Parts: sequence; C-alpha cells; structure tokens
Amino acid sequence: MFEYLIGGLATAFSPTVLPVLLFGVVGGVVLGALPGLTATMGVAILLPFTFGMEPTAALVMLIGVYIGGIYGGSIAAILLKTPGTPASAASVLDGYSMTLKGQAARALSISAVASFIGGLTSTIVLIAIAPMLAKFALRFNAPEYFALALFGLTIIASVASKNILKGLLAGTIGLLVSTVGLDPVTSVPRFTFGIMDLYSGINVIPVLIGLFAISEALTQLEHLFLKAKANSEFNYKLLSLKDLKTMLPTAFKSALMGTSIGSVPGAGADISAFVCYNEAKRVAKNPDEFGQGSVQGLAAAEAGNNGVTGGSLVPLLTLGVPGDAVAAVLLGALIIQGLTPGPLLFSQNPEIVYGIFSSMLVGNIIMLLVGLLGIRFFCKITEVPKILMIPIIIFLSIVGAYAINNSMFDVGIAIGFGVLGFLLSKMDVPSSPILLAIILGPMAEQNLRKSLLMFEGSWSFLYERPIALAFILLAVFSVYSTMRRHKKARQAESENP
Amino acid sequence: MKKLLKTVIAAAGILATASAFAADYPAKNIKLIVPFGAGGGTDAVGRTIANSAKDILGKNITVMNRTGGSGAVGMSFGAQSRPDGYTLTVVTREIASLPQMGLMQHDADDFELIRLVNLDPAVVLVSADSPYKNINDLIADAKANPGKVKFASTAAPNFYLMTLEKDQGIKLNAIPYNGASEAIPAVLGGHTAVTMVTPGEAISQLRSGQLKALGVMSKERTALIPDVPTLVEQGVNVTSGTWRGIGAPKGTPAEIIEILGKAFDEAMASQEFKDFMAKGAMTIHNMNAEEFTAFVKEDTAALGALVK
Repeated sequence: MFEYLIGGLATAFSPTVLPVLLFGVVGGVVLGALPGLTATMGVAILLPFTFGMEPTAALVMLIGVYIGGIYGGSIAAILLKTPGTPASAASVLDGYSMTLKGQAARALSISAVASFIGGLTSTIVLIAIAPMLAKFALRFNAPEYFALALFGLTIIASVASKNILKGLLAGTIGLLVSTVGLDPVTSVPRFTFGIMDLYSGINVIPVLIGLFAISEALTQLEHLFLKAKANSEFNYKLLSLKDLKTMLPTAFKSALMGTSIGSVPGAGADISAFVCYNEAKRVAKNPDEFGQGSVQGLAAAEAGNNGVTGGSLVPLLTLGVPGDAVAAVLLGALIIQGLTPGPLLFSQNPEIVYGIFSSMLVGNIIMLLVGLLGIRFFCKITEVPKILMIPIIIFLSIVGAYAINNSMFDVGIAIGFGVLGFLLSKMDVPSSPILLAIILGPMAEQNLRKSLLMFEGSWSFLYERPIALAFILLAVFSVYSTMRRHKKARQAESENP
Repeated sequence: MKKLLKTVIAAAGILATASAFAADYPAKNIKLIVPFGAGGGTDAVGRTIANSAKDILGKNITVMNRTGGSGAVGMSFGAQSRPDGYTLTVVTREIASLPQMGLMQHDADDFELIRLVNLDPAVVLVSADSPYKNINDLIADAKANPGKVKFASTAAPNFYLMTLEKDQGIKLNAIPYNGASEAIPAVLGGHTAVTMVTPGEAISQLRSGQLKALGVMSKERTALIPDVPTLVEQGVNVTSGTWRGIGAPKGTPAEIIEILGKAFDEAMASQEFKDFMAKGAMTIHNMNAEEFTAFVKEDTAALGALVK
C-alpha cells in the first residue's frame, strides 16, 4: 500500500499532473464562491474536457474542483452572507457574524484551517479504512436516513436561539414548501397547480440564493437609504493560537462525522454541515455563542462539509456506487476512461486509486494555501462600496439561479424567496430553518414512507435498528437541551429584568 | 422613420425564417435539450452524440440540461420550441409513460422523431449470496409470499417490474429509491431482495461479483453480459428496458429531418461514439424515423396497458 501511495504522490507532483490539480482547486474555489455555480456543476461541465485526457490527470482535475468548490462556497458565505453552495449555508451563521464584527480575516482563516482538517482527515480515513466504512454505509437504509434527517431537523430549534416560536414558524414554512412536487411514493402531483416546473419540487439552490443573497442585498439597499450603519472597524487579524486550540477538537470530530455522512449514499455536504453544527452546539459549553460568531460553530460547519469529500469516494471506490452528486459524475469519468469503479479498481488499477488518494492529500494542502494566501485579496470585497456591491450581488444571483437549470422559473423562485427572506428578517424570523427544512424535509418524508413500506406498516424500525435508534436519541437530547436552555434563559430574564 | 424601421425588421425576420428552411441548413449552432441532469446516462449519450455529429453538420451542437418532473419539463420545453431544426431534444422512454399518467402535457405526437440511439434491456439483479438462482426462484417466492418480496425500485411506478408482475400474476413490495445509485446499495446491504436496472448501471457490481444477474429482459442475450440468460430462455416471456433517441418539434421541415437523420447515422457509426457507448456498457440501437415512430407508438400502447 505504501509503495503505491508514494508512487501516487510522485504522480501528484509530476509536471503534468500538479498544474492540472492546481487549476482544478483554484477553479473550484472560484466556481464555489459564485452563487448558483456548485461543485457538482463545475465537475459536470469539466467532464467532457477530460475525455481526451490521461485517466489520472482527468480524475485529479475533477477532484481538485470538488475540493475547491466545497471550500469556495464558504468565502462568499462568510464575507457577503451569500453562500455559494448549499454546503456553505451553515457557515453563514457564525462566519458572517464575525465579518459584521470586523473579523472577516479571522473567519476566513478559521474556515480555511477547518476545511483543511475536514478534507485531510477524511482523505486519511478513506485511505486507511475505506472497506470498513463501506460496510457501515451499507447498513444505512431508509430507517437510518429518516433518523438522520430527524436529528438534522432538530437544529431548527437550536438555530432559532432567541425566539423558538419564530424558528419553528420558519421551519414549518420550509417543510410546507418541501411538500410541493410529485409524491415520492405514488407520483401524484401535490400543490403543483398544473405547473410543470413544480413537478420535481422547488429546487433548493434558487431558494438558497433568494433567502440569503437577494434578501441580504435588499437589506443592504435599505441601509443605503436609511442612515448608514457604521461598519465595525475592520482588521486583518487571522485566527489566534487560542482560536486554534478551541476549534481543533470540534474540527476533528466534525471531520469524522462528515466522512461518515459522506460515505452514506444520498447524504451530502449540505446535510453534513448542518448536522455537525447541531452536534457541536449540543455539546458546547457555551451554546449561546453559536450564531454570534462562535469559533466552534464555524469550524464545525466547515470541517463537516469538507469532511464529506473523502467520505463520498468510499462507496464509489469500494462498491461502485456514488456517495453524492459529485461522486456520480466522477463515476461517469471513471467509466468513460474505461475503468471499472468498485473493488476491482484496487486490484486492476491501483495506480489510479492511489493517484486519487494522493491528489486529494495534495489538493487539500493547495486549498489551505489558496485559502490563507487569498485572505487579503478576498477581504477587499468588503471594502467595495455597497452601492456597487449590491447590484453585482443581485446580478450574480439572477445569473446563478438561471444557470442551475437554464430556467427563468428558477429566477422567479429566487426573487420570490428573496422578498420573503427580506420580509421575514424584518420580523426577526430566521431564514436558515426554511432552507434546512427544504433540504431535510423530503429526506425525512421519503425515508419514513419507504421504511413503512419495507416494514409493512410496522414502526418497529424506530427501535430495532441500532443506528436509527442512536440518531433518534440524539434528536431527543438535542430538543431537550435546547428547551432546558430556554427555560433557564427565561428564568434568568425574569430574575433580572 | 419608425415605419421604415418596422418594415426593415419585418423583412429581416422573414429572411431569417426563410433561410432556416433553405438548403443551407444548418446556418447556425444547434441546441440539444437534455431532459435529465449533467453527469447522468441520458446527459452522457446526448453530449457524446452532439460531439460526434457537430463535425458532420459543420456547426456546433450545444447541450442544454433542462431537468425536472422525471424528464417532463425538458421534453415539453423541447416540444414547444420553434420547429426550425435548431432546437432538438433527447427523447426518453418517459415520453411514452408520463403523458398517460397525466404527468406531462405533451407526448410523442408533438415530436418529429429523428433517430433512436440507444436501447438497453433491464437486468434482474440480486446480491451474490441471494437464495434465488434464477428468475423462476424469484417468481415462485413471490407467488408463495404475495407482496412480501422487497424490490428496490429505481422509479415510481416501475415499468420493468410491472411488466413482469402483470405477466406472471405476482406482486412484489416495491420500495421507491432515487435511481440506480440508491437501489443498488439497498440490495448490496440486504435491505431489499431484488432490483432491476440497465446493464450499464450495474456493470461494476456485476464484474466484481457483488451482484448476481437472474436474467436479462430482452429477446436475445445482450453482448455486454453474454453469460446472463434472458427471461424468455427461462420460460418467462417478458421483455422490458429503456431507450433514448433524438426528436425535433412537430412541424420541422422534412428536408431538415432528413439532413439531421443522416448526420446522426454517421455519428452513431463513428468510432468515437462506439467506443464511448461500449465503455459505458450501453447498447447502440439505430432506428430510422419511421421505425422509431412506430416503436414509440407500440411502447406507448404497452405502457398504457400497465398504467390502466
């Protein structure tokens, strides 16, 4: 194994492969940072260009885009409250709060380091125990997905730290939106009003663009007309040693969680980021800091989403099935190169497997360097006058919403949710629960109904399947601890008004 | 002045339309609508045939993914495009099923079908350690335990399964998964007993021996997995599969259909396209416009009998 790994590293650093990897990572960061252009799209668009390339170089480039794309989405999330991809939506919560306090550089450096820890850890896990992890992934099926989604949904209670009722309101709006489309079991149209664009449900990316980017642009626009709020003093201070110490345990834990979630087919970086954030908040000593610029919160989301990168390759390389949408495109790339993804790849083409492993190791290092060296450059964005920045964001949002599916309908969705998000923010209703419910709602519904079909109407899967039971207990603890915290906060308030 | 401008614009418009019908087709780039997402099988077939045909036609063919509603959104969009030969659509089997289920407003009659490109049979798959040795073991178990045998379905409703169920008078417990990439792990992990996908979707698990094929649902054995017997050979007279072709909106001039048909014939015969399809474990099946139209009509009737 080690000789292959060293051979792989030699390949990764060879003059024909390293530039391709560098191009992939940097290109991925740029794509990821633009709203509407996701890592999946980047990989899919580049795929035809790899047809003529040598197999290792082709896969290395695509993997570079993947790693860079998941990370890049967070830059815009932190600086502009405009997550480039759904995977970065959880990073807005604490990252943008830091930017508002003038600590954009600190947030970006935490994000880069946490992403690096997430990516690197998951790559090492992938190299070391991929076959074992694959066995774990195969034990996941409908009941486990349902329980995971349920645990994820409890974050609604914890995101809405100030007013739980408003958080639940937002979550319910999201769940209602997520019921639009064809029924997952019977294929009967629900709430589609005969509009064909609604048959596949409301696409999450235009919603993301609307709720975050457009609504934030509208808020900024309003500030331009009102008396401009003085920006906090801006500084270029990176993360401190203390920050690093605070975040390391959370980052490693989230990295491992992200790897596990990634290894399960059908759950990707967006779900992982929220689940890791929720878990970090559940165990945190001072959960009230979450959402106000918590180092741990940002690190959990960032390590959690990049942790998926290695994990999603586990089922691809061991079972021949993709772990998420990006892995599905990589599967296509492998097949087009005449390779058979799955366990045979290890014995037939070990140079390809270890080429992938090594390029992931090197790719994560490149990502860290790009992230840290780019901070000064990225931060310049916050110095652009608002009067220029707002139209640019709205322009990019509309192009992004269109590009995801070449659809004007999606542009309408983005604008609609932009206005909704803006109005809700006036009423202090948080918008992230809406997004979370749209991502997790269908997962919970489909898998609950699938489980009931599998178990012929019996609910025994809730307590007979250990993994499902574990997630359900976590969900119960999560709700319980949030309720207790609120009770305490209310008591404290009534004692010292 | 305004009037003159209007006249000029109108004249230009007429000229532009006229030129579209003229013998110099194609005069500009062609758009190919793919009704499924980038990276999937339909997308790959669309992009590769576009790539092979562009040199033959001498104009670029750009692929546009228009997803949603299991292909309904993209195909309806394609059917409503201007019939000038500059917007083509990858037409999939859903054009025969969705309209009959009330899930699509357009059907195959809204297209001039140009060529069938790809036809793949479904394969019945179980995990390597499954007690089923052949299709009759599965059918016997389903007869003994109606509605109990768990089937990982790649779509709801699943026509591969329904054809078998109807013919044999059996009923499986069909659990809907999102495509082959979720249905295959459900069988590998032992959560469901059986699934049906195309050979290309399961080629790596078949090669590594993680999955076992009980039979292929075509009239004759397929070259991709020559060792797997057909269901017909095993005494079960059932065939099913999936297909993809190219269509233009109804009303596209016959000369243009002719030009495109010849170009796609040449593209399908090219080594590049053959290599690509072989690597993806997909079967090239070329049918000309008349054959393809009759084939779709027949398939629509067959699916209609299942839906009703």
